[in-house]
Amino acid sequence: MKSRKIVFDAILFCFLLCVVTAALFAPSEEQWLNLPLLFSAVAVFFALGAVISLLLKNLGIVTLGDILFKTSPVHAHDKAWYRRFWMWQLLISLAAALLVSLVKTEFSFFELFNEDGFAGAIRLFKGLLDPNWDVLPRAVLNIIETIFMAFLATTLAIPVAFVLSFFCAKNIMKGPWTRSIYFVLRTLLNITRSIEALIWAIIFSVWVGIGPFAGMLALMIHSVASLAKQYSEMVEAAEEGPIEAIESTGANKLQTIWYAIVPQVLLPYISFTVYRWDINVRMATIIGLVGGGGIGTMLVQYQGQAMWREVGCIIVVIAVVVWALDQASAVIREALK
Amino acid sequence: MAEPLIRICNLVKTYPNGVQALKGISLDVQKGEFLVVIGLSGSGKSTLLRCLNRLQEPTSGEIFFQGKEIGQLENRNEIRRVRKHMGMIFQHFNLIPRQSVIKNVLMGKLAEKSTVQSLFGVFSEQEKREALANLQLVGIADKAFLRADQLSGGQKQRVAIARALTQNPQVLLADEPVSALDPATSHVVMDYLQKVNRELGITVIANLHFLSLVRQYATRVVALKDGELVFTGKPEEITEEWFHKIYGESAREIS
Repeated sequence: MKSRKIVFDAILFCFLLCVVTAALFAPSEEQWLNLPLLFSAVAVFFALGAVISLLLKNLGIVTLGDILFKTSPVHAHDKAWYRRFWMWQLLISLAAALLVSLVKTEFSFFELFNEDGFAGAIRLFKGLLDPNWDVLPRAVLNIIETIFMAFLATTLAIPVAFVLSFFCAKNIMKGPWTRSIYFVLRTLLNITRSIEALIWAIIFSVWVGIGPFAGMLALMIHSVASLAKQYSEMVEAAEEGPIEAIESTGANKLQTIWYAIVPQVLLPYISFTVYRWDINVRMATIIGLVGGGGIGTMLVQYQGQAMWREVGCIIVVIAVVVWALDQASAVIREALK
Repeated sequence: MAEPLIRICNLVKTYPNGVQALKGISLDVQKGEFLVVIGLSGSGKSTLLRCLNRLQEPTSGEIFFQGKEIGQLENRNEIRRVRKHMGMIFQHFNLIPRQSVIKNVLMGKLAEKSTVQSLFGVFSEQEKREALANLQLVGIADKAFLRADQLSGGQKQRVAIARALTQNPQVLLADEPVSALDPATSHVVMDYLQKVNRELGITVIANLHFLSLVRQYATRVVALKDGELVFTGKPEEITEEWFHKIYGESAREIS
């Protein structure tokens, strides 16, 4: 595909032109926030980039787009690396991107090694390394809440995702009607999945109030979307032969799914589910930070009061539990193979 | 002659990509025959079998099974009823791995089960006895409680035959049943197909590649070439001349 190559190179040149322009003219805040102006500038640069890449194509110069989309002529590969145009194109683009990110993140060695800041960090680390074990019982109680929040979220997600997975598998949804259901469901799940569990937790903490219930609901929604996608990929990868064989006995659609597909996907399903529970425990601690209950909420409370010794204790508890679950889920998944 | 068990009239199958797999096949199959279909890969043998039990939709033409038109059936339930009466075995056996042999054989009974019954895996003692008897028939009743993926290729194909027999079919469609097996095992499997044909009177339609097997087992042979029927006759009637017509001038027979 030649056109993909042109578009790719045009975007790269457009980016470079934007960076150069921004560096030369140093636009004011007001100008940056003027979206129509910004977009028209980008559009102009994109057009310019397209012109440049078309020119390069006519000159027969191998660009990065050629390399990426494999449209370069065969003989072009025998030059030393510093004499290749695309190599310089790549290096300059990466350098420009790095430069922009340094500016944008306000990278500063001064801040990193500032004495006041340093002293604060030392105070923090001292606290973390010398945990206050008095809060241990409460931390354990809270992490139990977190673990079961994750467990319930996973458990509730399993049957929903299981049923959805068959409606989201191409090899089952073959007819014109069923195919449209497939597309609608897929799109809905993609949208649900692209909203982070953290955002769901914020939504539910307003809806049902701050606490583990909100966190559990957030995790469940996210788990349903993720599991349904992974499950349905397993269904699509199921071997066609046994499906055909069961169909040929005169079995109906449900019987075919139950007898030919489910046995093929059951083990990978369990494996994915155990892994999802493991992920959910980790996510549950993060979700607690925004009011999802459990150990995360406790962590954010002590952090807000700068009680680093208590935070240290909580972090130890989290680390131990996450490590243990990680090991356990790895062992279970290995055994399932 | 009696009314044929299967009558195929002008059967055409064109795939969505434009390939014409069958270009107007007309063929009668009598009850009790061991009919072998030969032809090169891509000549339409497999498509022909799959049109018979409607795993493939015929583009046009008619198929009569026991006097009833089945080639243009639209109703899924009626298609399933047709399939119940036609057992099928496959080149790659297509058993369900990680399930026991007996459970694989019982799957031949699915067409008679309600959806709810089958979701709970309810099979009666009677049905289990029948499944075991069919395993006995193909000589591997002792493997009934092993997992299907622990068997060898030949054993798997025998389980597949038992599964098809559990449907109590009128016809057994065998799509290259021995192509994935070694010569010795091939003969074992073909012997069991012959036994099924002779002792149970089940009509067999099989796609085969080796002419030596064709001569030994077939009661009648048809040959397909580029989707057309080019030969019908007794196996011993396939002369050198016919062989070259079916398989091309440069072909040589492998024994």
